[in-house]
Amino acid sequence: MQQTICALATGTGGAVALVRLSGPEVCRILQELTKHAGVPDPRRQTLCSIYDGEEILDKALITYFQAPHSFTGEDVAEFALHASPYIKGRLLELLCERGAVMARRGEFSERAFLNGKMDLVEAEGLCDLIASCNKAAHKLAMDSLGGKLSERLAEIKRRLSELLAQIEVRLDDVDEEMTPLSDKFVQGEMNAVLGHIKALADTFSVGKYIKDGLKTAIVGAPNSGKSSLLNALVGFDRAIVSDQSGTTRDTVEEILEINGQKIILTDTAGIREHALDPAEKEGMRRSHRAMEAADLILFVLDSSRSLTLEEKELWRDIRRQNKRTVIVWNKKDLAAQQPPLEEQEKYPSAAVSCKTGDGLNALKTLITADVTEAQTADGLMISNLRHYQSLLRAQTELESALIRLQAQAGGEIYAEHLRGALRYLQDLIGEVTPDDVLGIIFSKFCMGK
Amino acid sequence: MFVCEDKYDVIVIGGGHAGCEAALAAAKLGAKTLLLTQSLDTIAQMSCNPSIGGIAKGQIVREIDALGGAMGRVTDHAALHYHMLNTGKGPAVHSPRVQCDKKTYQFTFKHFLELQPNLDIMQDEAVKISVSDRSVDGVLTLRNTFYHAKTVILTTGTFLAGTIHIGTEMFRGGRYNDMPSDGLAQNLREELKLNILRFKTGTPMRINARGLDYSKFRLQPSDNPLQPISHFTDVREQSKRTFLNCYITRTTLETDKILRENFQRSAMYSGNIHGLGPRYCPSVEDKIKKFPEVTSHPLFLEPEGFNTEEYYIQGFSTSMPEEVQRALIKSVPGMEKASITRMGYAIEYDFSDPRDLFPSLESKRIPGLFMAGQINGTTGYEEAGGQGLVAGINAALKVQEKEPFVLRRDEAYIGVLIDDLINKGVNEPYRMFTSRAEYRILLRNDNADLRLMPHAFKLGMLDEKYKSAFEKYQSLCQKLIEHPTAQADENEQELFPWTVEKARAHADIYHKYAGYYERNKKDAERLAEMDNVKIPEGFDPSSVRGLLFESAQKLASVKPQTLGQAGRIPGVTPADLQLLAVHIERFRRLKNARTTR
Repeated sequence: MQQTICALATGTGGAVALVRLSGPEVCRILQELTKHAGVPDPRRQTLCSIYDGEEILDKALITYFQAPHSFTGEDVAEFALHASPYIKGRLLELLCERGAVMARRGEFSERAFLNGKMDLVEAEGLCDLIASCNKAAHKLAMDSLGGKLSERLAEIKRRLSELLAQIEVRLDDVDEEMTPLSDKFVQGEMNAVLGHIKALADTFSVGKYIKDGLKTAIVGAPNSGKSSLLNALVGFDRAIVSDQSGTTRDTVEEILEINGQKIILTDTAGIREHALDPAEKEGMRRSHRAMEAADLILFVLDSSRSLTLEEKELWRDIRRQNKRTVIVWNKKDLAAQQPPLEEQEKYPSAAVSCKTGDGLNALKTLITADVTEAQTADGLMISNLRHYQSLLRAQTELESALIRLQAQAGGEIYAEHLRGALRYLQDLIGEVTPDDVLGIIFSKFCMGK
Repeated sequence: MFVCEDKYDVIVIGGGHAGCEAALAAAKLGAKTLLLTQSLDTIAQMSCNPSIGGIAKGQIVREIDALGGAMGRVTDHAALHYHMLNTGKGPAVHSPRVQCDKKTYQFTFKHFLELQPNLDIMQDEAVKISVSDRSVDGVLTLRNTFYHAKTVILTTGTFLAGTIHIGTEMFRGGRYNDMPSDGLAQNLREELKLNILRFKTGTPMRINARGLDYSKFRLQPSDNPLQPISHFTDVREQSKRTFLNCYITRTTLETDKILRENFQRSAMYSGNIHGLGPRYCPSVEDKIKKFPEVTSHPLFLEPEGFNTEEYYIQGFSTSMPEEVQRALIKSVPGMEKASITRMGYAIEYDFSDPRDLFPSLESKRIPGLFMAGQINGTTGYEEAGGQGLVAGINAALKVQEKEPFVLRRDEAYIGVLIDDLINKGVNEPYRMFTSRAEYRILLRNDNADLRLMPHAFKLGMLDEKYKSAFEKYQSLCQKLIEHPTAQADENEQELFPWTVEKARAHADIYHKYAGYYERNKKDAERLAEMDNVKIPEGFDPSSVRGLLFESAQKLASVKPQTLGQAGRIPGVTPADLQLLAVHIERFRRLKNARTTR
């Protein structure tokens, strides 16, 4: 049976997003997502609530096209949604959770062509599209990802295939000589791989930010206006603001939505190296921690005065974090010109006035810009939704394997799950064939008559 | 030249495990068949160890048996020791292994062949395959006799240009004491221009049991209760028979030392051997070389028969010179006083690149020419038998102008075997492992009958008299799967050779693997769908623009018949397949447009 595929049909931006679903399971998935409101009449836009568990994710206009009267010739549903990254991303997740898979590039058109819905001329363009993706995907497998990410993928591949080899060699042990693998060892290896996979899946920008929000740390010298900025962004007085520097001793967290993106703002204590007050010292330690945990740093400066020594030092600290950083020149209303700042041309910046609200919109755009390309805590990132889904499926496989291991199932059973995990990771780590596994076996074990 | 009057549908060249199954199958399907063999006294000979089955191989024997082949029944007839391997693991990897009396095995098989209608057996050596109009039309033999044939099945084993090595001694031979097939080798290489490559394999020494100290061995008695390897053997009758013991011992530090001191004298390392050997069935000198940290290796003593004192020493395959082999034996506990009866040796032989074959095992280069067994780069009696059976069936079907019989990867290990051979080729002698099967949960020893007998009855490979019992068994299994606690009051007599107990066991295994069954089946269905997309005649997959360079090259050399087959060629990406799918459709439409115009 053909798989049911889904994808976002519109680009970023715009007020309405279109998600398309095609394949034999469209009706079932529609039923489930709309809580059995029934499949809408074909070819008519129908307003439906889409459920995420018990909650309504969005009210969307759904159009159902019955096979063969659709773009692909299969059953198709189109969801017109509010174009928030969260809603779009979550809907695709919900579709995949219910058995759909993310479409490959050109896959909708491919089906349309194969089902006689597209002529030969149009097919030429389709072939060009697939061909270009073929080259890109080929490059992606392992090496060109570069750096830490490919290292981690290589580690996943090595550990998974070696564990599989350890299990397989015992299933194929002719002499019945091999000592059984200890459950502890298998469990340890599976958990190690699972850890890597989870960490990678967590770096998935869209998924991660959608789910957890973009962690944004507001840092700056005392009294540079960090809390005012937080309040201006949130829109009401949340943090305690006073003129005496060092009022914010605790870190204050605020969750808000900017341009449809979930943001977790952390207002930190002003960083002043020579703080005497123990409470202030503790607050500063937390600030450093917040900076380390952040996906984005907003460095707040008072544009009405030149930088202090502490601020210069702090700026060096921030740059060492190697994170996406936006410089916020506060108190725009009080200064005609900004003071000089080392390497400032390398970072995006915004001049704002928290008092008048001037420049805040530009800052908001900067905060949410390029979210998908943002660097995460350890510099790794999975940026493709298909890959993200692959990681999630591989994760499920390994979790099932662990459950079966605890239930004392045989090696042939958790081997099924390891094979499954390897298959799902194929796009990311390349194919691991039975010959590859046998290669590991023959190089590590003396086997055979 | 004498021209034989008979015009054969199928001529099988070679009377080993592949050739015998091929000849029986073709004749069973009604093809007028001739089996040519150098010597009727070595027909179906077990040239290496005296055992049939083993991990994954046991499953293949069950499959051959379910498809109407003879290997399983002959094995039960010749059995001297039964052992079900892997019983400590899940039922998906249980594998039967049976030690046989070698002479009983080969003469039983010979008798089966003699009794088979439509089958002639002739002691004669083929030297040339005659081809006219680019298609096979006959075989010429050493004594200058010509036999007409519509199809020919090549099952040459290790005989094609065979060379034997013992230390630095080397001489020509297809097996120790047998002549190599040099004429045929030359014909295939130079006249038929097949893509010929060379492999190496080996066999250990045999010893006389007189003088063995059994107290130093670990005993491996025959299983009790036993499980026959053939579906058709009456287990109660079989259990009444006498069985022999096998023994296990180990190499010592002394063995290790002797091997180390003499590495350079082994044929393997002397530079005389150019063929590639298998990694998993290494000679004992290979083991020491590659795994120096392992100082002791297991040896398994298998009796060669009921009426002989000879033992086969599994694990001691070697091509060391004679004096080293003698010293090696003395270094093993319990064998100090044993004498060698036959020396171990290595053998090099020609094989033909299996990527030149269709899934039917017919050559893409020469229509009507089929190949099975070691000539396709495999090793093992079971792998040979499975291919022989498929080649025999397909040669007969071709003569009858019927669609070829192809087993899918989710149906049988034989399907995995052939699919791997023709798509991936081989770079060492190919042996089956359960890890090669992605649908391992489906391909079990206990369900070979349910998987394959429906095919066999349809083809006419199984006696109709078993049909009603099989159908009863099938529905009983289904009933017990759906209602595990259901009463099973089936008449055991009408069910024979199946039993209610076996059906219950099957249902239990089904439930044990239930979720995985569904999962494997679903994957397999997707695969089958891809296999339904035929690559049309005249369509050149390698010409598709946008394919990765390596993919295009591989497609050009393998020439897959279906989209699914293309996908199983190593390195072909999902996007390559997308492109192929679109281009196949494009090709079809353009062709239709042309014909309707």
